Formats: sequence, C-alpha cells, structure tokens
Amino acid sequence: MTGKELLLRALNGEQTLRPAWLPYVGVHGASLVGVTAEEYLKSANLIVDGLSKAKELYQPDGLPIVFDLQMEAQVLGCELKWAEKTPPSVVSHPMSLMEGDGKSLADLPAFSVDKGRFPIAFEALDQIKKQMGDEIALYGLLTGPFTLTLHLMGNDVFMNMYDTPESVMTVMDFCAEVACQVADAYIEHGADVIAVVDPMTSQISPEHFTEFVTPAVNKVFDHIRNKGGKGSMFVCGDATRNLDVMTETHCDNVAIDEQIPLEKIRDLALPAGKSFGGNLKLTTVLMMGDENDARRNTIACMDAAGDTGFILAPGCDLPYDVKPENLVAVAQMVHDEYQRDIARTAANVSQTDTFDDVLLPDYASERDVIVDVVTLDSEGCAPCQYMFKAALDARARLESDCKVIIREHKITTRQGVGMMVKLGVPNLPSICIDGQCKFASIIPDTAVIVEEILKAAQSKQEVTS
Amino acid sequence: MPQLNELTEAIKSGNRSNATRLTTEFLDNETAPQEILDAMVVGMDEIGERFKRNEVFVPEMLIAARAMKESMAILEPALVKSGYKPLATAVIGTVQGDLHDIGKNLVSMMWKGASFNVVDLGVNVSPEAFVSAIKEHNATLVGLSALLTTTMPSMKATMDAIRQEQLEGVKVLIGGAPVTQSYADQIGADGFAADAASAVDAARKLLAC
Repeated sequence: MTGKELLLRALNGEQTLRPAWLPYVGVHGASLVGVTAEEYLKSANLIVDGLSKAKELYQPDGLPIVFDLQMEAQVLGCELKWAEKTPPSVVSHPMSLMEGDGKSLADLPAFSVDKGRFPIAFEALDQIKKQMGDEIALYGLLTGPFTLTLHLMGNDVFMNMYDTPESVMTVMDFCAEVACQVADAYIEHGADVIAVVDPMTSQISPEHFTEFVTPAVNKVFDHIRNKGGKGSMFVCGDATRNLDVMTETHCDNVAIDEQIPLEKIRDLALPAGKSFGGNLKLTTVLMMGDENDARRNTIACMDAAGDTGFILAPGCDLPYDVKPENLVAVAQMVHDEYQRDIARTAANVSQTDTFDDVLLPDYASERDVIVDVVTLDSEGCAPCQYMFKAALDARARLESDCKVIIREHKITTRQGVGMMVKLGVPNLPSICIDGQCKFASIIPDTAVIVEEILKAAQSKQEVTS
Repeated sequence: MPQLNELTEAIKSGNRSNATRLTTEFLDNETAPQEILDAMVVGMDEIGERFKRNEVFVPEMLIAARAMKESMAILEPALVKSGYKPLATAVIGTVQGDLHDIGKNLVSMMWKGASFNVVDLGVNVSPEAFVSAIKEHNATLVGLSALLTTTMPSMKATMDAIRQEQLEGVKVLIGGAPVTQSYADQIGADGFAADAASAVDAARKLLAC
C-alpha cells in the first residue's frame, strides 16, 4: 500500500496498521533548501525542491503544497510584509473603518485564482503531482472564511459581530465563495485533500462560530464534496471551546493544535463519522527538544489517538528552524515498528506491577509542602527539564518561612514509574503538589505554581491550627 | 434611581447604550465620580477574569472595553474636576518587526479600564521610540508585546535600551503568545502576563497600586 492510500484510508475514518504521517512543510521547506521564506513562497521551483527534500528526509504519506494564509488576502488588495523565516503578514485591512479605508466588497479587486501567487502554487502542484503524486497525498491549503474576513475587515469584525452581524455574514459568504474557487483550482490541479485553515476562529465563542463560521465553511465543504474532493477543518491555536461545533461542520476530517488532548477530538470525531489529525508539539518538542523528545511525543500521540481514522501531524505549520533530525525521528517511529517498541518500552509502565512497595507519604501530616515532579528524566528531555526548573523557580520565589521539598521521579526507574502510577499522573512531565496532580504536560507559569504551593501551605496551617 | 451594579453589568455585557445612559444618570444624581468609576472598573475586572478562564472571547472583551471607553468619555470631566488622577501612565506597543496588535490592544483597553493613563504606540515600535515615549510621558509602566517567536529578540533589544537609560521607577511587563515568565527573567523584564486580565493584576502588583 502506498503512503497516499494509507493516508486516504485514515482520512476516510478507516483503521490503519500505522498512523498516516503528514508533516506540514510550509516555510520549513525554504530552510531545507537554504533560501528565505520570501524567495521560497515566490518560486514554484523552490517549493518543488523543498517538498522533494522533505519527502526524502521525512518519508511522509502526505504533504501540503503551500502553507500561506495570506495568498487570497493579497489578491483582494491587502498589503503584505515579508519576512525571512515566516510567511508574510497582512498589514492593511481595506474594509476596516478603524484601521483602513472602509472599502466595500465591490471596491476590492476582483478575485481570481490566476492572480497573485496562486499560479506559483498550482505550477508547484503540477510538478509535485508528476513527481510523487502516486505515492503521497497532496494537500491544498486555503484560508478559512473567518480568517480571510479578518484580513479584509481587521479587528472591526469582532465588534461588527455584535453591531452589524449582517455585514459580517455578507463578507463571510464572499470569503466562502473565494474558498470554493481556490478549492476548485487545487482539485483541478490534482490535490487530493483540501484543508480549510481557519485559525482565527479560536478567538470566538461556539455561539459565534455556529452563527458566522458554520454556514460559510459548510458551503465550502459541500462544494469540495460535490467536486469529488475531501475537506479538512483545520484550526491552529487553542480551539478547545469550539471542538464540538468544528466537528459538526460538513468536513471529512478535523485537525487540531497541540493545546488539545487528542483523546478529546478522537471521541468527538469518530462517532460523527469523521477522521482527525494532530498534534505533535511544535515548540517544546520539535523546535526546542531533541530526537528522544520527538520519539516520545510521537508515541504519546499514537497511543492517545488509536489506530482508526488518525493522521499524525504537527499542531500547525512547521517553523522554518524546526530541527530536521526531530522530524526524521518522528518518521522513524511511524515507519519502524521495532523502533516504536524500543521507545515505548523505555517509557512503558509495567501493566502487571501494582507497585505495592512504593508508598506515598501522608502528605497532610507532613510539615512541609511536597512537590513531586514526575519526568522521563529532566536531564535528557527538554520539557521535563523546563518543568523541573519551573518548580525550582517557584520555590525560589517563596518567602523563607514556606518550606517546600521538591522531588524528581524519573520513570526510567521502577520507583519512578511506581510514583507516577500512585500519584495518578496522566501525562509527562507533571507536577504534583501534596499528592495532587496540578500540572500535566503543559509547563505552567511560575507564578501559578507559587499560587498552588501557597494554597497547599495554607491548608496545612488550617489543619494544624 | 438606578443601582451602581447595573452599570457594572452594562460594562460587562458590552451594552454601551445602557452604560452611557447610566453614567449620565449617576452624574445627574450627583453620585461621586470615583464611585461611578469604581463600578465600571469592577465590570472590566470581571470580564477580564472570565476571559482568563476561557469563558468569554475577544469580541466580548472588545465590546465591554468600548462600553467602558464611551462611558469614561462622559465621566472624565467630572472625574478630573473631583481631583482624580490616573493610577500611573503606561506606554504600550508591539515590538519592532512585529505587526500583530490584537493582544496589545486588549491589554491597552484593560489598562485603561483599570484607571491607567495609556499611551499606545501601535505596532512595529523601535526600542528608541519606546524610550523617548517613556521620557516624554513620564511613564512608570511599559508593556511590550510580540506574537512571533522571530520577534522576541526585539523585546530584549527594547529592554536593553530602557535599562541603559536608567529610568527611575519604570517597570516593564512583557506578553504575547510565545512569551513566558522564564523569557521575562532572562531579558530582565519586571514581569510577564499570560493574558490581558493578568496584565492588569501584574501592573497593579508591580506599581503597588
């Protein structure tokens, strides 16, 4: 079975022997061929070179052609500011009254996929399709209607949702039409999947999503389906509150960022007949971590997601400077079952051991607050190191009369695994305060840890007084 | 006669017509301007807390801030007349190279709502522009914002420029999606805030007001 077939099976919600692997190589492709993001995004040949290199290194089952949510906006008259290592930013919002000229839709340049940088993207797609179109699935990414509306109207849109909702609806509908045109062109040039990327929806409530976003994206997903394509609803950022309404749209797949537990989207998507994708950690693991961190994160994603309807992908667009060796390590986990077993064993908790001999202290009767930091190993895993340091930093900020004992439990030892089980820690690294798991996986702000320690200290005083 | 908590509610729900009408009524009834302001600040604080807890989102924050701004315009002459002074003057901006402003705008609005005098320098602000604005406005609070990891070094450059001037009593708070407390410590900022409501708490704490 080719990688493409495997990815499309996963996308259709089927069970797969291994997860489909979709690295979102956007401007990271520029770094792979040693050029700036601007040079890359303006040249079909460089995009082809970047994606070819990515295919060779990362053994993907799918690749996006371009990850740039400013292409539609540029055609519609938004000015862009280019950067060396990131996609361009929109710097003018022609329909904004607060920040722009307050233009109407009729005043904007007519949209066409023959304008701006779309011909470059399609030329790259044509070449890539010829080179690797039989082996891997190709994604056409387009700007979701809400994000494009924000590009056009600027921050006005947020207040207009209350003041003149009909004006927002009109622009959203126009942006959905634009998205349909882009989807058509991608499909005609051979894209297998269309991803509607709408990160700005993470800034609004589920009620506003249903009112403004759902009708617009459904129009796009229905259109994609009528053309024989597949549609993915992709929101970078913390979309926790909108997961239900995102899943209820007419998409085939929901893709999420690293802030959201994969189990959560799995339990929503699969019963709704949709597949799901995500959510390798971009910053703490792929950017700042090493290959071991990448391996562990991959295993964690695979274990959380299960083997049905799952596409392994980063939470969002891969940064320019992401370490290639980390993505190679992810690919190794995806393709090599033996390597997967080794990585899993290293972190695996024995299913039969009940750790009866590992005893927790009676936290309430201890004079000092006890902070248990459960890690893989703070010396060998970057997130663990930051988590442990966060606990130390918190202690350093406390007054000297608040006594705190910090203990690290590495799960590379049986004792450490026992503590993890006894403390009921769901993810690593974690911080438990007086036996209660307070922070799992996401490294908290030091001030928040201080607050929790003070609370624990206070409840101790109340018990003893 | 209306109750002050009605004004708090009007601010919280972003109902600007009610908020401005109530402000006018309270002034006509000779309620002390400071009491009226306090009722508004409670509204902004409460919406900020809900934002922090992920219960409301950017649109709800913006309409609350607008209701506050329009009510303040009515209240301000009476406040000034009563001898009121803002807690402090703050200078805020998105650092050089970064053009994102939603987070910076939210902090700016929340600070205004919490009775700070706010000078908003906009986006892509150079270290020199920050320094000269701090001097010009005698600011004691500075807010630096960045959304991109690639522009975080600009925060350090701005911090260095501010520290080099050895400005007395100037506290610098940083924030934005990629920013953390440890980064704040690393570049010598006085504080970090994870969201707009926390930026108010942090500012009050830093300036002890």
